[in-house]
Amino acid sequence: MSYEFLTPAPTALARSPMERQALAAGARLEQRDGWNVAVAYDGEPPERGRCAATAGFADRSHLGKVELQGSHGLPLGQATRRDDAWWCPFTPEKALVLCEPADTATLLERLEGTFPTVVDLTSALAALTISGPLAREVFARFTAIDLRDSATPVEGFRPGSVGRTPGAILREAGESWLMLFGAALGSYMWTVVADAAESLGGGPVGVDALAVANA
Amino acid sequence: MTRLPPQDGERVDREREVTFTFDGREVTGLEGDTIGSALFASGRRTFSRSFKYHRRRGLMCCAGQCPNCLVQVDGAPGVRACTEPVQEGMEVEHMNARPSLEFDAMRATDLFGGPFTPPGFYYKTFIRPRRLWPLYEKILRHAAGLGKVPKEQAEREWRTEYRRRHADILVVGGGAAGLSAAIAAAELGADVVLADEGPEPGGRLLAEGNHARARELTARARDLGVELLTSAPALGAFDGLVPVWERDTLHQVRAQRIVYATGAIEQPLLFPGNDLPGVMLSGGAVRLATLYGISPGSRAVVATVDDRGLEAAVALLARGVEVATVADLREHGNSDAMKQLMRQGVHVLRGATVLQAEGRSSLQRVTLGPPGAGEGGAGEHELTCDLLAVSGGSAPATSLLAQSGARTRYDERLGHFVLSEMPEGAHAAGEVAGSGSLFEAERSGAVAGAGAAHELGFGDDESRARVETERKTVLNSRDGMPEVAVPPAVTSSRRGKCFACLCEDVTAKDIHLSVEEGYDSIELSKRYTTTTMGPCQGRMCQLPAVRLMAEETGTSLADVGTTTARPPWHAVPMGALAGRPFEPAKRSSMHARHRELGANVLWAGDWRRAYDYGDPRAEALAVHETAGLIDVSTLGKLIVRGPDAGELLDRLYPNRFSNLAPGRIRYGVMASDAGRIMDDGTICRLDDDSFYVTTTSSGAGAVYQWFSWWLADWRLNVHLTDVTQGLSAVNLAGPRAREILASLTDLDCSAEGFAYLDGKRADVAGVPCLLLRIGFVGEVGYELHFPSAHGEHLWDALMEAGGPLGLRPFGLEPQRLLRLQKMHILVGQDTDSESTPFGAAMPWIVKLDKEQPFIGKWALEKAASGELETTLVGFRLADGHVPTEGAVVLPDGDGPVGQVTSARFSPQLGGVIGMAWVPVSLAKDGASVTISDEGRRLQAEVVTKPFYDPDGEVLRS
Ligand code: FES
Repeated sequence: MSYEFLTPAPTALARSPMERQALAAGARLEQRDGWNVAVAYDGEPPERGRCAATAGFADRSHLGKVELQGSHGLPLGQATRRDDAWWCPFTPEKALVLCEPADTATLLERLEGTFPTVVDLTSALAALTISGPLAREVFARFTAIDLRDSATPVEGFRPGSVGRTPGAILREAGESWLMLFGAALGSYMWTVVADAAESLGGGPVGVDALAVANA
Repeated sequence: MTRLPPQDGERVDREREVTFTFDGREVTGLEGDTIGSALFASGRRTFSRSFKYHRRRGLMCCAGQCPNCLVQVDGAPGVRACTEPVQEGMEVEHMNARPSLEFDAMRATDLFGGPFTPPGFYYKTFIRPRRLWPLYEKILRHAAGLGKVPKEQAEREWRTEYRRRHADILVVGGGAAGLSAAIAAAELGADVVLADEGPEPGGRLLAEGNHARARELTARARDLGVELLTSAPALGAFDGLVPVWERDTLHQVRAQRIVYATGAIEQPLLFPGNDLPGVMLSGGAVRLATLYGISPGSRAVVATVDDRGLEAAVALLARGVEVATVADLREHGNSDAMKQLMRQGVHVLRGATVLQAEGRSSLQRVTLGPPGAGEGGAGEHELTCDLLAVSGGSAPATSLLAQSGARTRYDERLGHFVLSEMPEGAHAAGEVAGSGSLFEAERSGAVAGAGAAHELGFGDDESRARVETERKTVLNSRDGMPEVAVPPAVTSSRRGKCFACLCEDVTAKDIHLSVEEGYDSIELSKRYTTTTMGPCQGRMCQLPAVRLMAEETGTSLADVGTTTARPPWHAVPMGALAGRPFEPAKRSSMHARHRELGANVLWAGDWRRAYDYGDPRAEALAVHETAGLIDVSTLGKLIVRGPDAGELLDRLYPNRFSNLAPGRIRYGVMASDAGRIMDDGTICRLDDDSFYVTTTSSGAGAVYQWFSWWLADWRLNVHLTDVTQGLSAVNLAGPRAREILASLTDLDCSAEGFAYLDGKRADVAGVPCLLLRIGFVGEVGYELHFPSAHGEHLWDALMEAGGPLGLRPFGLEPQRLLRLQKMHILVGQDTDSESTPFGAAMPWIVKLDKEQPFIGKWALEKAASGELETTLVGFRLADGHVPTEGAVVLPDGDGPVGQVTSARFSPQLGGVIGMAWVPVSLAKDGASVTISDEGRRLQAEVVTKPFYDPDGEVLRS
């Protein structure tokens, strides 16, 4: 029996666990690669401004997330950018590969033959990117993971506790951080991040503004 | 008006006024004032009433060290007026005085209450007669405490934050030493945080007129990227973590090295009347004059044991305050300050100290003379004055260091406890380390900061060599510390209360009594008298209490020692400690749909679950009559994959899984190594090498850990993946379930095509699913497991397809009733930590003949060969009363022999059913047991087979 039941299918609409909160915050949703994605809120200029001046956070739960088990040889503590995907090691025997949703099926196929266990965790993990000069201050409100340049340089990958739940943080670019956590905690984690970001003048941003801000 | 002419470097802006209220009256201060300085400038001398005797208390230290100026600000109690900046519109109120600060009825405690309030009075008085305790309690509760917490919850909430901050180096204290340490470390490239209690870094530099240097150092530190936290006391030192409280934020600073530049605390002297408003520490008087341009008095007397007091006298003179006399306890000495005083013609009494202070509502006169002199002794001088500036020496602020593991020893020459041993990773600089002068403090700070940075690999050989040379100079300079005279525990034997502890109103006499009563060690005395337990946390009272204890017990101060240093070093609101509330709640991907359907949502472990949709009985009946749909996403779900996967499961469960055919499902009960039931669930074999394991909702985490633990030990070729949150699951059950399912999938859903305990892969409504044909609720049922991202899509599709056929959502409560009808156990409810599969009436699940050794085998073999005492059975009650879960089972009316674990009224069966542990002798159909429930005796009939569909015909159909 295949593991297909673990992978969201394009034949049905996939939703982020934070969709309700995003809608309540004024998100405009668009279907992309089978997912309802929060693409914008109050418009690109203010959203980009948030990422430039304080901190914007965007729901990126639609990213493909594939766990592989077996010896992977990736250096611990950092993510490796390879084939348009982030390869993030948890242990010498376990890693998570993050890719664009459209690439998940191909990635799964490729990995299946290479590693003894490959499991699609796209639905298991929710993801938020926090971006902006105050992003680290936002994180400081709910995680003790050391995100200073010396401990987490660009491309650093740090598993640990976020908002008192297991998670991981990937530093994708200068001040852009992708946080992964259990999907069932999506609604809870949105409130934690929104509370911290808003208290510092930040707020939600759509993935479109995020892409521009991080370009 | 007590403002002096503008002072060089003062903190106030004389052009900008700030208006606030104190006890409802408008007060005008200046921008830069603290509440304390503004009130003092407006003529106020009484700031608070003391804790027990309700005596008047005025500004004393002006540095946030004592309890004298505690006020309530905008509803928040316990704020120190002398460090809290004034803000426009602020509402300030006094604490601990009724009806007013000027007339406090509880002052009677001071005048007449002495006999009723000895040390430890709460252990002795107000105890008899017992029947009056409710009255006493009411009065005591009313009298106890300092501030008033607002009654309305909304008014006592305010936003607080936790902020985690990693740093290379944390510097505690922002005086000359702290700033220099931060600069030296930052210059070498370290990431530095500096936390200072004051509103502006600089410490003594500011108070002693060196504001330009303070601001220069501050600017340099800022330029180097040092994070400066002001009005931010460090609360304690824990392993690798120092909490720093800054207004509404609690910074959890995790630094690799800590430099403590906490300074020294000026000490009071003990003499009758030492708490009168107008009696100040010399540093406090100077701070008022220097920082806020306020004259602390019109005629001052200074009593000192060291040069600090002399320097204060010089500073006061320079600011235009009349200094009538200076009493220096030292017989000799000719420091620069002494020379200056002489030059200015100030009357100096050598070998003298203050013997008494008197006045009605504030200080009016003092008596000076040789220490120990009684009433009318030789050499006494009585002087009128409204300010007595006292310097009883200093005590290094070692508490935080001691909390981090440093040791101290008593130094006879200096008359206080000094650092003797430092813990790894900690450095001390400035006065706390014995570097007293400002120049030395700066130098020792630079050495400590650079030393800490060097330990972390910053700097180079050259900087190391330079710092090493400096270190030696610093150490040498400490030998030349200025002379002090160690004051006696109490300066005179005159009448009147001498306060050793101002926070808790403990007098020298109280310490004497406590020793008489046998509390003759400093730790016992602390607990009995509560000395050092108040808001000052021993800053003002530790050393005086040690001196008193040494005198009372005839031992040396070194032998008396100090009390154990404990957090918090600074009073902190509970709200700041609590921070933002985090309550990680898991929600299924269909949670919003349940809400829309009106579900009552409750906690179930760490999940929020639909308990019912308003009518649990009707929901249960729908499952029997048409179909029901329940969200079971909370089940734990594991993928177990690898060539040894079957063997792993055989070793972990008492039954076999390696012989399970792919596409088939088997129930499993997991036992501990003591043979006790830990968890249960179903296991589906996906293919030769992989299994899909479900666990109970609350057991998911523990089972994953249990699997991982044993897997690491056994080194089997297996990989585990927890997919609990990745897969949602629903159970579609009831006579029309098959029809509903078939309408959404191409799968052959017939009884033959999809048999009971089959596991199949198929798409349902376009969603890839793993379908398990199992029946927890007793009807034909399908458990659909699918990517949680499709939760709402699949739920909607099923509800839409099933709606016309009578499909109804059902919650946790109807599910519990339905499973009870089938006598399916709930682990943790029907079992406890002593339950074995044998006791739980599941002997069939234990395969003792299994060739594979398994967890709990030995214990289960023992259990199998022994006699069971009790076992789990079902029961029926004729009476319509539903017994409480936990009600006891009585054999013949004697002691309890078992208990009810589950009970419900079943509309389907038309009666009350339940499960209970009963003696084995009663575990037979038709036996009668007595249940005692909250005073009622109920006669129940034992049932050993499921109440509904006992042979599973419906289930398998
Ligand atoms: S006068 Fe404010 S704490 Fe001492």
